[in-house]
Amino acid sequence: MLWIGLLGIPLVGALVVLLLSDRAAKLGAAVVAALEVAAFAALLGGVAPTLNLAWIPAWGVRLHFTADGLALFLLGLTAVMTLVAICASNVQYGRAYFGWILFMEFASMGLFGAVDLFLFYIFWEVVLIPIFFLLTGWSGAKGRAAGLKWLIMNLFGSLFMLIGVVAVAVIHNQTTGSLSFEISQLTNLPVSSLAAPWLFGVFALAFAIKAPLWPFHGWMPDAYGEAPAPVTALLAGVLSKAGVFGFLRVLLPILGAELHAYQTGLMIWVAVSLVYGALMALRQTDMKMVSAYASLSHLSMIALGIFSLTAAGILGATFLMVAHGLMVGSLFLILGVVEERTGSREFTGLMGLNQGAPRLATYFLFFALATLGLPGLPGFAGEYMIMQGLVVHEVGFAVVAGIVLIVAAWYMLRLFQGIMQGRPDHPAVVDMNAGQVAWLVPLAILVAVIGVWPAGITGHAVPSLYHAVHFAVAQGGIR
Amino acid sequence: MRYLLPEIIVAGGALLGLLAIVGVPKVRGLASWILLVALLAAGIDAATMWNVTPSLIVYNSMAIDKYGIAVTELVLLAGISTLLLAWNAEYFGEEFPVLVALSVLGMMGLGGATSLIPVFLGIELLSLPLYILAASRHTAEGGEAALKYLLLGAFSSGILLFGMALLYGATSTLIFVAYPGIASHAQVWLLWPGLALVVVGITFKLAIVPFHMWVPDVYEGSPTPVTNLMAFGTKVGAAIILLRILAFGFYGQASAWGLLLGYLAVLTMIVGNLLALPQTNLKRLLGYSGIGHAGFLLIGIATHNIQGAQAMMFYLLPYGLAAIAVFAVIRLLEGGPGGEDRGVTLTDLKGMAYQRPWLAMVLTVGMLSFAGIPLTGGFVGKFFLVQAALFANRPGFAVGIVVGTLVGLAAYLRPLQAMFQRDGVSERVRTMRWSAAGVVVVVVAVVGTIGIGVYPQPLVHIVSQSANFYWLKGG
Repeated sequence: MLWIGLLGIPLVGALVVLLLSDRAAKLGAAVVAALEVAAFAALLGGVAPTLNLAWIPAWGVRLHFTADGLALFLLGLTAVMTLVAICASNVQYGRAYFGWILFMEFASMGLFGAVDLFLFYIFWEVVLIPIFFLLTGWSGAKGRAAGLKWLIMNLFGSLFMLIGVVAVAVIHNQTTGSLSFEISQLTNLPVSSLAAPWLFGVFALAFAIKAPLWPFHGWMPDAYGEAPAPVTALLAGVLSKAGVFGFLRVLLPILGAELHAYQTGLMIWVAVSLVYGALMALRQTDMKMVSAYASLSHLSMIALGIFSLTAAGILGATFLMVAHGLMVGSLFLILGVVEERTGSREFTGLMGLNQGAPRLATYFLFFALATLGLPGLPGFAGEYMIMQGLVVHEVGFAVVAGIVLIVAAWYMLRLFQGIMQGRPDHPAVVDMNAGQVAWLVPLAILVAVIGVWPAGITGHAVPSLYHAVHFAVAQGGIR
Repeated sequence: MRYLLPEIIVAGGALLGLLAIVGVPKVRGLASWILLVALLAAGIDAATMWNVTPSLIVYNSMAIDKYGIAVTELVLLAGISTLLLAWNAEYFGEEFPVLVALSVLGMMGLGGATSLIPVFLGIELLSLPLYILAASRHTAEGGEAALKYLLLGAFSSGILLFGMALLYGATSTLIFVAYPGIASHAQVWLLWPGLALVVVGITFKLAIVPFHMWVPDVYEGSPTPVTNLMAFGTKVGAAIILLRILAFGFYGQASAWGLLLGYLAVLTMIVGNLLALPQTNLKRLLGYSGIGHAGFLLIGIATHNIQGAQAMMFYLLPYGLAAIAVFAVIRLLEGGPGGEDRGVTLTDLKGMAYQRPWLAMVLTVGMLSFAGIPLTGGFVGKFFLVQAALFANRPGFAVGIVVGTLVGLAAYLRPLQAMFQRDGVSERVRTMRWSAAGVVVVVVAVVGTIGIGVYPQPLVHIVSQSANFYWLKGG
């Protein structure tokens, strides 16, 4: 029942918003998003609710959603960030914009909740469409090209994944004689050694493009740069998690043995991605790009935690997914405010904004510190758990991750100093208004609470995570 | 007689329509109404026969089975949508609906054919009215399209007929469902060339590469409703008869033709979609896209398994609905008389997303279904085909489907981007008027496309039944 609400509220809301006038659309969308947050709060109270209905019986496809520990807080992240993004959006964008945002919320909710591989795939692709239209219709000069790049690169990954999805079900059919896409039934597949690398490859490619991880991030600079700030916040905060989430949700149960076999190679790959993102962030002069590459680096860190195949590493990764979503989403929203106030994204021309806009500078500093992993804030807790997992497995990768954490402090503080500190050579900008503070304060409180009380999330996630990696344990994959 | 009632209704309707044109010339549009009612009645009648016991009639030349009934419903949908798209268009002349109905009658005949005679009759009856209809706008482009279509059509008919003659020489019967039984003592040196020529003749109609050259010019030059009938109806007719001939008459040789047709299909998907990329005229775009989709249909035949047959049957409906949606948008943008003289191009879509959001939504649904995005019927069709390819243990076909889809993506996305251009609104978008018939077509196409995408189970069930009987027969 709760699931019908979780999926139905944004979907019906999107249609209702389309019928409102352009001026009322923002308020309507905010109400819908608030309802969705309330629905999620109801979800927190009870035991993990599921929805399990027959959908296409001929193919064994089921409408199966679960809010297990892996998904629960990603659902919450989606609900919260959508509400904040709607509040931060310009009312002049009109009803179609808010309709697409709510449709994206629907698709993300479905994606994080789906435990049927067919269903997962459906939402995996559907989530691309609203972003394409938001980039095409409501972004900067290069937005249309960015939208096309986003859709084509992502579909390149996901269409090959489609072959993987069907192949997994066909292999299951050949051993059991029945057709099913239920992820929990697709474990222990007798994949031939010839097909296994290909099968693993198509899934990993799709996940790596969506995240994105180096070297599949070709769409990222344009899309993050051109999209309106709230859309970038949703892209980096929510949708990027879908990529790393896929490794946990799909690859670990279905191809856990292969994940174990290719572990070293995968870790080297994401370690390169980790360093690459950090170094790229260091040399950007566009403030949105600093955050974009920082986000790439953090996602690589999450992937590193997953590939460590230790309980601590995977737990840290799940935690950091949620924390990173809140932090980087907020950071992009604040950068959006800065861009709106100054008309520029180049921070070489900006200096000393804290003189005229102290509130803006304070919130900026808070989220920048959270992102770089200051103890007491959630970035630290997640990175600590990942490091713990890495130290257990292989110290070399832990050293790399540690060095990158130092670089992270460097690029974040460089960004902060570049924009906010120094002698102001820019006409004073208007500080944040009450409306903006209204959505920033709860967000900052949420980040602080998660930072000092990570157990609030990990406590929920642990039981189902152990369940999720059960198969890998049996393979000797988790240490 | 009972079993041929849908065909008789359509034929009778065509005659009645002709009589009405001659007898009561004062009442304009009477023939359109008569034929619309006839096509609807034939559809309802065919639906009531759904649970019929499969049997052969007319000296084993026609089969009455769910396969044929499903085909009948599909081509009637194509015919009805064509009539509605051309509703009240004066320059088509009064005989327009009669010709559409005759063409549909040919397609219906193909659905049940089990002998080469009805195959040939069906293909000719399908084509001849289309040659006339292509030129019905009396313009130079229309004439060129019609002549091109006629010459190439006659050429392919000749090839088809020659192939049939060879097959008859090899087996001394025209009833192709009997071929497996006599294949062992047939004249092999006549059988293979005969089969090859028949397949070539039909793939001409289906527009499979390398027999696709005529498509873009003919689609562009013909009036939009006629293009709709060509794109949907002709494709249904050609695809289903190819499947029936190959899987019924030649399943013993499947290992040979399956792989060959598979290569052709992959080639067609890639070439068709690749050529769609640079198109700016929407009808040409649909022409090339139609070539690409013919490749997808051919995959279902080439896999030669039950999933393939089902997938091909399935794919026809979302493809047709998406085509109808896009053709309806083109038709509405063309507007009144004279609007068709210049084709609808990408620049004509400028500002549509802001000025005409509902029309923009229709085009979006159609294009996304063509591109195979989930929650539209096109995705489920592609999924079905990939499934069929992997069940047939041919991963190469599946990769071909994916590559073909990827290549064509940008072609379907560019019209959507064009709608969002902010620098002004095109003249056509501004002056466009909704028509009642157009609204009916658009609603059916959009609801159908999304409906199949969101809840495909009923259609999956129907195609599994309609292809199932047929499969038992083929062994």
